[in-house]
Amino acid sequence: MDKAQRDELIRLITSPPAGSKIAAAKEFGIDLTLLVRTLELTPTERLQQLAAAQAFFQDLRNAMKAASHG
Amino acid sequence: MVDFQRILTALCEAQVRFVIIGGAAAAAHGSAFPTYDLDICYDRSRDNIGRLASALEPLHPRLRGVVNHLPFRLDAATIANGMNFTLSTDLGDIDLLGEVTGIGGYEEAKRLSLNLVLFGLECAVLSLGGLILSKRATGRPKDLLTLPEIEALREVDSQVKPESGPAETQNQDSVAGKRNEQEPSS
Repeated sequence: MDKAQRDELIRLITSPPAGSKIAAAKEFGIDLTLLVRTLELTPTERLQQLAAAQAFFQDLRNAMKAASHG
Repeated sequence: MVDFQRILTALCEAQVRFVIIGGAAAAAHGSAFPTYDLDICYDRSRDNIGRLASALEPLHPRLRGVVNHLPFRLDAATIANGMNFTLSTDLGDIDLLGEVTGIGGYEEAKRLSLNLVLFGLECAVLSLGGLILSKRATGRPKDLLTLPEIEALREVDSQVKPESGPAETQNQDSVAGKRNEQEPSS
């Protein structure tokens, strides 16, 4: 994604056209600003980011479990 | 945690015919929603089922969500006699689907997929249009929750993209990001 595309993406998600799916997602409560980051990544990097999130959430669950048994 | 790279490598090295679907496919397209397993739609042909069973056997697949003392062996006969399997493996959870709600079997999923290079492997990944079809048809709350984001991603894909093709193709490791067939219109 080059700078022009990134700027266009930010414009779209901050001021989506009325009646668009982007506007509907924003209205629904989706944090579309997260897409700026994910769309800059390659598909492989996106899956790596997903795996890192999974590991983080697992660490959180383990910490909660340890705290509740402590 | 799913080791996507090692599972996909095992499947590709065994030449299993499959399409990545579900949350991992959505993530590959840019979704920010987390998922905790890898869902694939696999070809139900006899030879492919054999390759799938052989690829997964070293990963010690077992049924997810059942007590451990239930006997289970995921071999070709088991897969042939079933359809969809929710499994845990040594490399994370994987769901095997012979049919995808709203889409059909492997051939239909393949036609609605893109070839993306993931970890250096060319993999078929269900398109945003295919994901929308599936999630609308499934209609579960968790699917409907993610649907607006996927529909927005598809709209972004159509409006913010290089002239050469969909947004995915501009990434350096997705040069094989060609569509296997036109996506259905929304």
